[in-house]
Amino acid sequence: MSELDYVGKPVLRKDGPEKVTGRALYTVDMRLPGTLVGRILRSPHTHARIVNIDASRAERAPGVKAVVTHKDSLGVKHGFVETRRYPADQNCLAEDKVRFVGEEIAAVAAVDEYAAEEALELIHVEYEPLRAVFDPEEAMERDAPEIHPSHPKVREPFRNIAGKTESSWGDVEKGFDDSYLVLENRFDSHLRTHGYLEPQATLASFEPAGKLNVWTSSQGPFIKRSKLAKTLGLPMSAVRIHKAYVGGAFGGKIDLFGHEYCASLLSMKAGRPVKIVATREEVFTAYRHGQPLIVHVKTGVKKDGTLVAQRFRVINNCGAYRGSGVVVIFLAWGFAMLPYRIPNLEYEGYAVYTNNPVRAPQRGHGAPQMRFAVESQLDMIAEQLGIDPIEIRLKNARQPGEELPNGDNVHNCGLADCIRKAAEHTEFKQKYGKSRQTPESAGRYRRGIGIGVSSYFGGSLIYPNSSSVVVKMNDDGTAILLTGAMDIGQGAETILTQIVAEEIKVPVEEIQVIAADTESTPIDIGSWISGNAYVSGNAARVAGAEVRAKLIEIAADEMEARQEDIVLENKTAYVKGSPDRRIPYSELVAASVRKRRGDSIIGNGHWRTMRDEPHHPSLATTKGRWSENYAFDAQVAEVEVDTETGKARLLRAVTAHDCGFPINPLLVEGQVDGQVSMALGHAFLEEVLMKDGRTLNPNWLEYKMPSIHNMAVSEHLDVVTESYEVGRPYRTKEVGEGYVSAILAAIANAVYDAVGVRLFSTPFSPEKILQALGKLK
Amino acid sequence: MKILVELSVNGERFEIATNPHATLLEVLRNQLGLTGAKEACGTGECGSCTVLADGRPILACLALAADYQDCEITTIEGLQAGSTLTPVQESFLEKGAVQCGFCTPGMVLSATALLKKNPAPTLDQIRKALEGNLCRCTGYNKILEAVRAAGEKMSQEASGSSGQ
Ligand code: FES
Ligand code: FES
Repeated sequence: MSELDYVGKPVLRKDGPEKVTGRALYTVDMRLPGTLVGRILRSPHTHARIVNIDASRAERAPGVKAVVTHKDSLGVKHGFVETRRYPADQNCLAEDKVRFVGEEIAAVAAVDEYAAEEALELIHVEYEPLRAVFDPEEAMERDAPEIHPSHPKVREPFRNIAGKTESSWGDVEKGFDDSYLVLENRFDSHLRTHGYLEPQATLASFEPAGKLNVWTSSQGPFIKRSKLAKTLGLPMSAVRIHKAYVGGAFGGKIDLFGHEYCASLLSMKAGRPVKIVATREEVFTAYRHGQPLIVHVKTGVKKDGTLVAQRFRVINNCGAYRGSGVVVIFLAWGFAMLPYRIPNLEYEGYAVYTNNPVRAPQRGHGAPQMRFAVESQLDMIAEQLGIDPIEIRLKNARQPGEELPNGDNVHNCGLADCIRKAAEHTEFKQKYGKSRQTPESAGRYRRGIGIGVSSYFGGSLIYPNSSSVVVKMNDDGTAILLTGAMDIGQGAETILTQIVAEEIKVPVEEIQVIAADTESTPIDIGSWISGNAYVSGNAARVAGAEVRAKLIEIAADEMEARQEDIVLENKTAYVKGSPDRRIPYSELVAASVRKRRGDSIIGNGHWRTMRDEPHHPSLATTKGRWSENYAFDAQVAEVEVDTETGKARLLRAVTAHDCGFPINPLLVEGQVDGQVSMALGHAFLEEVLMKDGRTLNPNWLEYKMPSIHNMAVSEHLDVVTESYEVGRPYRTKEVGEGYVSAILAAIANAVYDAVGVRLFSTPFSPEKILQALGKLK
Repeated sequence: MKILVELSVNGERFEIATNPHATLLEVLRNQLGLTGAKEACGTGECGSCTVLADGRPILACLALAADYQDCEITTIEGLQAGSTLTPVQESFLEKGAVQCGFCTPGMVLSATALLKKNPAPTLDQIRKALEGNLCRCTGYNKILEAVRAAGEKMSQEASGSSGQ
């Protein structure tokens, strides 16, 4: 095995210097000469018929350059999912109905924000309010107001069903009959938001020759290009999404958004660049948040804790349009069944329309909600059986090489090692149960320890399905890497550069990256399906390998040696055994140009996960392959509960994780820490409060995100299950969103361990804890 | 109905015609093209718009430009001399305290102001100084480490140069 110089090392971020000096330009910083300010008119109603829209006064107002309503659009609908079963269901601008507060009705472009704001007030919309419904279980009832007709394939007499996922194997009823213990519980989760710091923003500039240039804060330019082209009726090649730095996304910037469409359409109409930046209040009230799930789970186990059967019923409040609601009910199935062997399983999940804003993926996309339910109940089972939480997890954890019921394989799954390592490192067994054994007089503050496990997929087949990468040598022996990958802070550009550096032995600092531009870089899977390290990473590896092969070939020629004897190192080549005589890459490139008909040495690589699968698995039946690799983790939480106030806090989080091979350990730690922080916000601090479809706390004063005071100690234990070898495919796993989940469950279990309070819903608020302690009436 | 505001920013004087209620952040970003200070909320809740006024961190989204005519304003663009990074900037890089980078200018400036006053802060003092700066990406631990490391670097540099 060759020595690794660049991967597996804590290489500093490529974009770091730009960011610490304030030079990195985000979409909100972009501006072109003559840029107009765009603003969006949004529905004040939760559910209403639009009788008439009169924008004529706004059109004539001073400073206004363009106004658009549904009449200016082609009426092409869009959706996060656009399949035959789940066709697009959302208008870019409302036509005859609005279904949530904040739905886009019209947009204006004006010379400044004052003129734009005034123009919005001049647009007169006549509404006829309709009955609305906000709770998903109420929305399913037969006499609920109909937001959209129920999905035609759903046979049950429920209203407002946006979609359904069903899956089963084995014989669940028999499984329950054969079980020693059966528990049935309901777990609820609450509404949270992504909290990206950079607000949603777009700058669009339509050129007279017919080209639309767009800068937008996103998670991947190619999906934006495809959706903008389709809704605007432009050829895909006429839409160019340019790179801009992105100030956080976490799942909230994938779909096509109203401001992207409106800025583009306004620019086409006004013939000038148009920029729309959402206010923080708009982000809170009208944009997409995560998806609270209602999870019913019934589990049967043997006396020794072995899982026998599990039945899930999941209900997702997916808002006024489908959004990613039908994806979550598919994923919830996956996150339920990944970590443990379940011989008999029955799953049904419903996505239900309500008159709430549309929902989006949010880091973990259903996994935190599912793991909270399953792991909490598993601890309840363990206690009743008198088994400790570690043993029951080890007993059921998937083992390397296991095939999943959908035909996927967990390959070198390191879950059992993760559980063991996390437990040993935290002295779990010695601590667990201690607090509950001490008498009440022992004090006001109680400590507890809890564990959770989770698993996450690394890339699946959704447009654009694949990644390509190009690597070009420069005359001076340095290189250029072209990738469509979008660095949203996770470090995509850095790890791809490390991989190329390793293959071609050019230092990371001497590889220039050109990224995330639909015109000048090749297609990329995007930074939203946890496939960057694996899919784009392998594409980069293949492109690098092609360059490597060419360098070796020409070096062998030049040095009159055999190719297998050529060693590459730090931009030079030498013959094995005589490192003193080296040819620099600059000379190899020149030689290649001279002797290989001008070949300046360019490599290209592409990668597709599950390359023999025609398409993604069925969202309705879960049939078909889902992913080629799965990351696993066990997380331990230590908490302290104040029994007087009911306030709990996270003191320490330990993450033992199998991410395959950490390409950049520093970036991996950053991902883990960020997820622990989000999970503690989920557990204790954050909640979007809504009443009757309206957001009550649309700001960070009232929506509490973790501050520097809230953060707990976060420790990382790598369970490395892969090795990286130059010239060989590798199956590294994801680290970007798998670790928000187990830690949430671990916190709930730790609260139980501290004070004996079992929590059945998030957030873990002081009221709930006091109530359960009998200290609140 | 504009007024003339005179500002001293990063060592340069500017005369800017602006409306009387323009915030310092608007003037910096829109009129001077200094986009390093960010606007994530515009209402004083996140710290991403932090700049230094006579060395003290302020929220530029809440500050009226007209009120800061007698101060020396430092933005992230004016922090370093030439192209060498400051110890704070360097430590943020080395410790992995930067992800999306949107909070970074504000964080770096708040940390710089703290370390000027107190080069060897306790963790609690660092927390206090950065409590108004939200970061959604990093979970803060690496930021804490970076600020501490920067303090050490600055003390070493100071003692190194005084020892000469
Ligand atoms: S933008 Fe000034 S505090 Fe948020
Ligand atoms: S690095 Fe993204 S908000 Fe701090």
